[in-house]
Amino acid sequence: MMKTPGKSAPNEQTVSTYCYQCVAGPDLLKVRVQDGVATEVTPNFDAGVIHPAGGKACVKAFGLVQKAYNPHRILYPMKRTNPDKGRDQDPGFVRISWDEALSLVADKLNAVRAKGLTDESGYPRVAASFGGGGTPTAYMGTLPAFLAAWGPIDMSFGSGQGVKCYHSEHLYGELWHRGFTVSPDTPLCEYLVSFGANVEASGGVCGVKRHADARKRGMKRVQIEPHLSVTGACSAEWIPIKPKTDSAFLFAMIHVFLHEHPRARLDVPFLKHRTSSPYLIGPNGLFLRDPATRKPLMHDIATGRAVPFDAAGVEPALEGSFVADGIEIDADETIIPHERITVRPAFEHLVAHVKNYSPEWAASICDVPAATIRRIANEFLEHARVGETIVVEGTTLPLRPVSISLGKTVNNGWGGYECCWARTLIGCLFGALEVPGSTLGTTVRLNRPADNRWSSVKPGPDGFMQYPMNPTSKEDWISRPTVRSVHRTLVPLVADSAWSQALGPTHLAWMMQNENFENLPEASPPDVWFVYRTNPAISFWDTQAVGKAMAKFPFVVCFAYTRDETNHVADVLLPDCTDLEGLQLLRIGGTKYVEQFWDYQGFALRAPAVPPQGEAKDFTWIATELAHRTGLLEPYNAAINRGAAGIKLSGKNYDFSLAPEKAHDVETIWDASCRAASAELTDGAESQGLDWFRDHGFRVKPFARLQWYLYPKLVAEGLRFEQPYQEQLFRIGRELGRRLHERGIRWWDKQLTEYEPLPHWHDLNALWESALEKHYSVRIADYPFWLITARSMQYSWGGNVGIQLIKEVADNVAGHGNVVMNQQVAERLGIADGDIVEVRSPLNETKGRVMLCEGIRPDTLLMIGQFDHWATPFAKDFHAPSMNALVPMLIDLTDATGSSADLVKVKITRLEKAA
Amino acid sequence: MTRWVMVADLERCVGCQTCTAACRHANATSPAVQWRKVLDIEAGSYPNVNRVFVPVGCQHCADPPCMHVCPTTATRQRADGIVTIDYELCIGCAYCEVACPYQARFLVHEPHFAYEAATQNEVERLDAARIGVAQKCTFCSDRVDFGIQNGLMPGEDPRATPACVNSCIADALHFGDVDDPNSNVSRLLREQRSFRMHAELGTDPSFHYLYGKADDPDRDAALPASQAAGAAGRLRTRGVEPSQQQHWDWKAAGNFICGGMGSGLFVFTALAGLAHGELVHLGWIALGLMALGLFLVLLKIGRPLRSIYVLRQPQRSWMAREAWIAAIFFPLAALALVSRLPILLIVAAAIAGLFLCSQAMILKEAKGIPAWRVSWIIPLMIVTGLAEGSGLFLAAAVQFPAADLLVTSSALTALLLAALRAWVWRSYRNTLESDGAPTETLKVLRGISLRFFVVGLAIPSVLIAFGMASTVLANILVAAGLCIAAAGAYLKFILITRSGFNQGFALVHTPVRGAGFSGPSVKPGWSMR
Repeated sequence: MMKTPGKSAPNEQTVSTYCYQCVAGPDLLKVRVQDGVATEVTPNFDAGVIHPAGGKACVKAFGLVQKAYNPHRILYPMKRTNPDKGRDQDPGFVRISWDEALSLVADKLNAVRAKGLTDESGYPRVAASFGGGGTPTAYMGTLPAFLAAWGPIDMSFGSGQGVKCYHSEHLYGELWHRGFTVSPDTPLCEYLVSFGANVEASGGVCGVKRHADARKRGMKRVQIEPHLSVTGACSAEWIPIKPKTDSAFLFAMIHVFLHEHPRARLDVPFLKHRTSSPYLIGPNGLFLRDPATRKPLMHDIATGRAVPFDAAGVEPALEGSFVADGIEIDADETIIPHERITVRPAFEHLVAHVKNYSPEWAASICDVPAATIRRIANEFLEHARVGETIVVEGTTLPLRPVSISLGKTVNNGWGGYECCWARTLIGCLFGALEVPGSTLGTTVRLNRPADNRWSSVKPGPDGFMQYPMNPTSKEDWISRPTVRSVHRTLVPLVADSAWSQALGPTHLAWMMQNENFENLPEASPPDVWFVYRTNPAISFWDTQAVGKAMAKFPFVVCFAYTRDETNHVADVLLPDCTDLEGLQLLRIGGTKYVEQFWDYQGFALRAPAVPPQGEAKDFTWIATELAHRTGLLEPYNAAINRGAAGIKLSGKNYDFSLAPEKAHDVETIWDASCRAASAELTDGAESQGLDWFRDHGFRVKPFARLQWYLYPKLVAEGLRFEQPYQEQLFRIGRELGRRLHERGIRWWDKQLTEYEPLPHWHDLNALWESALEKHYSVRIADYPFWLITARSMQYSWGGNVGIQLIKEVADNVAGHGNVVMNQQVAERLGIADGDIVEVRSPLNETKGRVMLCEGIRPDTLLMIGQFDHWATPFAKDFHAPSMNALVPMLIDLTDATGSSADLVKVKITRLEKAA
Repeated sequence: MTRWVMVADLERCVGCQTCTAACRHANATSPAVQWRKVLDIEAGSYPNVNRVFVPVGCQHCADPPCMHVCPTTATRQRADGIVTIDYELCIGCAYCEVACPYQARFLVHEPHFAYEAATQNEVERLDAARIGVAQKCTFCSDRVDFGIQNGLMPGEDPRATPACVNSCIADALHFGDVDDPNSNVSRLLREQRSFRMHAELGTDPSFHYLYGKADDPDRDAALPASQAAGAAGRLRTRGVEPSQQQHWDWKAAGNFICGGMGSGLFVFTALAGLAHGELVHLGWIALGLMALGLFLVLLKIGRPLRSIYVLRQPQRSWMAREAWIAAIFFPLAALALVSRLPILLIVAAAIAGLFLCSQAMILKEAKGIPAWRVSWIIPLMIVTGLAEGSGLFLAAAVQFPAADLLVTSSALTALLLAALRAWVWRSYRNTLESDGAPTETLKVLRGISLRFFVVGLAIPSVLIAFGMASTVLANILVAAGLCIAAAGAYLKFILITRSGFNQGFALVHTPVRGAGFSGPSVKPGWSMR
């Protein structure tokens, strides 16, 4: 056997594992272990062929060695001795045994079970908050099985989602094209308009590799954002747009396509047969339907009659006025009959809708010249290649190498609907949705089954895909919220999957701890709150309010790596194995998040590279102990057997189910999982277990590239994309309004206005400014800057702020730890590079050192990442500014999906001159 | 032949620093010791702004200034072009660090760790041999050698390829043999446009930067003049523009000050001693000064116990030559002072002059410091040394009233040298101003110019004029001499510790990104591009 290069210790080995610190993972990697000590992270070139980025791991993975040996780790279970909680209180943590720690937790849980799993208001007495994007599940072993065994758990206390995610895209993307996350088909795309989507920072190794390859191919990416991010830097063009005006730019692009070019430049067949463009719209804004079948009608050019959308051999009209009979179905199944009324297709409504949204109109809103907007639209159109095809795995598909991506502040909160709608619609205009080269969804999280996107496509009403909206009918509307964010009650789009609690107005759960919302059940604090891989005390919006709310929680259990701002209020700290110490099998491949498009699917093992430090325990051991001590072993094991830990243990030709009554050890559980994985991948032919995976690291089988694209599945099912006309949302919004008003809830009225069939442009700058003025009684002119944030590849999601190596290398990337400001404006204000400034919003202030640059709009300030640490060792000495404490939680700034944007108006004052 | 080179594709690089972290892991370097890192450079004025990510590190120059200056032969070059450091030979003098125009070398005097105490992984990989010596990127030569021994192609097989290249998630870094026309790197360099950083310095670096496809139109020609000017304007350049070198401090300056003064004083003492034997005692002061200067160097270097290795490479290194000259000079000068033999005094004076020249040449060969490497530094250092020596000699000669003629000629000589020094200083500065230099260097030099003129020439001129006019006022000649000497010391102190800004980083072109054009050159912090 060939030894590895370099100075090798006498006792050296290499261990395969993965890094899933961020949602763009997993990255497969190897760890070099010398004398039992992890010393080096390297790519896993064994996965070079099967991994889209050649087995490479991103910079965050290189922090894992220091993570294991960080002297600030919590290495023993601890309990709080100071009953008073709060930032100003010393928790007085003292070391205890695991037995005592688990008994403390189990006693609380058993007391909850005795009282009832939900409180008087119907809210779960046990709550849990986990880090973003589901990444903690790659580290929490079998804890999901324990949670499943437990029963109702409130997971709606937000820790960043809603402002830090792609919230509107998650909901509307999943509705329109099974795109919980949305991506260009980068390997084939030739023209990409990116509205602040910071893929070079957030796209992970697959995103970075695919975009670098695309640049070498000549793909033109136009980055439209207020500051020049790393993604803007790597783009062909940067267009500095005024914050939160992206929808105007997009609407103007639609205007150019529909009012400045002949229809033949569009993909007319796609519009006619794969969208609702030809559906006739009744006078009340609802589809005109066939009274007998209730199917939406189209005008057939050949026969000159209105026919149901699925009638055979129809050549539907996209434009024109037609006389037809039919019905509209309004909220609550109210039928409105019509005879010989004049109606027009949805497409013609669309054309009229965008008539006034010209580039000249958008120019002053976006602070971008009309000629630039028009040029971008025209370049997009020139690259769309309407009519061309490509063969993918033997199937001929349209080739449309144009796409639009949206960043998170574009996506979140008010305006998110408009932007997601416009982006998806533009795709439809050119047939550039879910076909090679175009805009694709990457994963489903709300529809079921979620194993791949195709299997989630089921025929729904009106020729569209079925979508699991939360009910809004009188009978089924969930008037009594199931969790404190009230998500299913307020937001039909969040559906009811395991992921739904992460969506919707998660800030409401926090707000309700401090204030009552009219006609909602009072929200008591949870009796027990579990926290893992998240730090909402610094990572949410209005972190001061969040911190105060959590200090009132009576019993908080934190799985703790180091001390931090959230576990400052913990009653028990439980040290779990870090990334290189724990054992877990993870499903990999297929299509998943961001730019994770694989040609393979299978499983990877996170094998322990080194023994746990101190008394840190494997998460699976902790979960099993909790199940055992709460008398839930049987349902816990049953949940594992069902697949709650990532893989179902039985299938056709194989059964590795665990005996339900026993407490199994960690290796037994994962050995069974590995065997089931081997069997699943080989249709039961093979059953190699943990040892095989330890030796090989991962196991995969091919995944058809055709499944990257939803279009062939829609064609096979005879379905259409639900674009451009949002009749379903319009009707549901009206129903939801009735339900809320029936219950006397009026504080969600503004959100109800967002349920428009064709979204209008809204002046979001004015909306933000007026909300801040109203709530804080300030003169908004005193706050002249927009404060925005940007993602950091080095830090985001990683929980790695206490790791020296990450800080060291992040400091090489401009802007980290600074208030980034336009140089010319700073000169006018007498602020110099390196000065210490206070940045104040109407809510709060933060301090930091100024970094001047030219790559930012004069009206914008930028703070990268999230750094508000005052307890986390190492990080608390950064003195870095953070916008999280500055952004208020306001219902006025919450959109219909329950999200808001990381955006606030601020003023800047110099405190100290640069040294 | 084989020549290993690194090719960095600026169109691909996203500045993620994965290579930086991977290098830190693979080579177990200390915190902040980044043999490989990626610069984040911004050029232009809002809204026409370009931001570029540029991997840097040791360029493994074919003509490496670091190797030429190394007094110990610790820095060598392999047949395949890789520039190496032998940690067992290096004395930590940091001469290579000021000679390198790429800021690629590091000198760590004490072990330091990620947190307060060494963590387990740091204990496991602590390499005491690296403390107090120069260190830098090795092109992971251990991996390259391992690959060759095992029939693996460096640059293609990861086991034979530098860790930074292996880790690069954008496939921006490539490694290979540029002498093989069929290699990966040769193909890339054929198919794409490339440049090398600071190639005008003649270092022939082995680090190539790709900035566009071979058939891309030339941006410089295509760019509207207004935009080109804008792109050369405002810059966010922290960490990119020239920065003050940190390796040679007041102790290093002390060697140039004491060495220059001492050797200058010795020259005049020895020459005067031919006629006035009693003056020869001053020679001991000169020797003392020179010895003090060398002692200060001893205090500064990382491995003083190995200082004898400084003699290993007089073939190339002026620092080694300085040491050899000193080794010959001190016994010879002592013998001359004791014996007062004219021939010995003359030879010793000549060697003292050589010592002065060697100090001038040390600075001249520091290719990484624009203020030092210009040719005018040679006459400046020599004349300054002589002027200082003459000033000190004048101050001493006044104590010998019997030698009126000596005092007068000493005063005139000192004045003449001070004037010559002022003229050389002016020429030196004019050269820097006209040829281009770090703006901060120019600022520093401009800042001291008036002071230097007043103290170094104007005041001494007046004092000498008065002093020579009246024997009563003769003692003010002492002040004149000390002024001339002090001005020289001040000048050298500033030259070493304040104006020693390094080369900084520069791009010949900013890259294409998918579509469009490559951009104009970027050279932040320089008076001329």
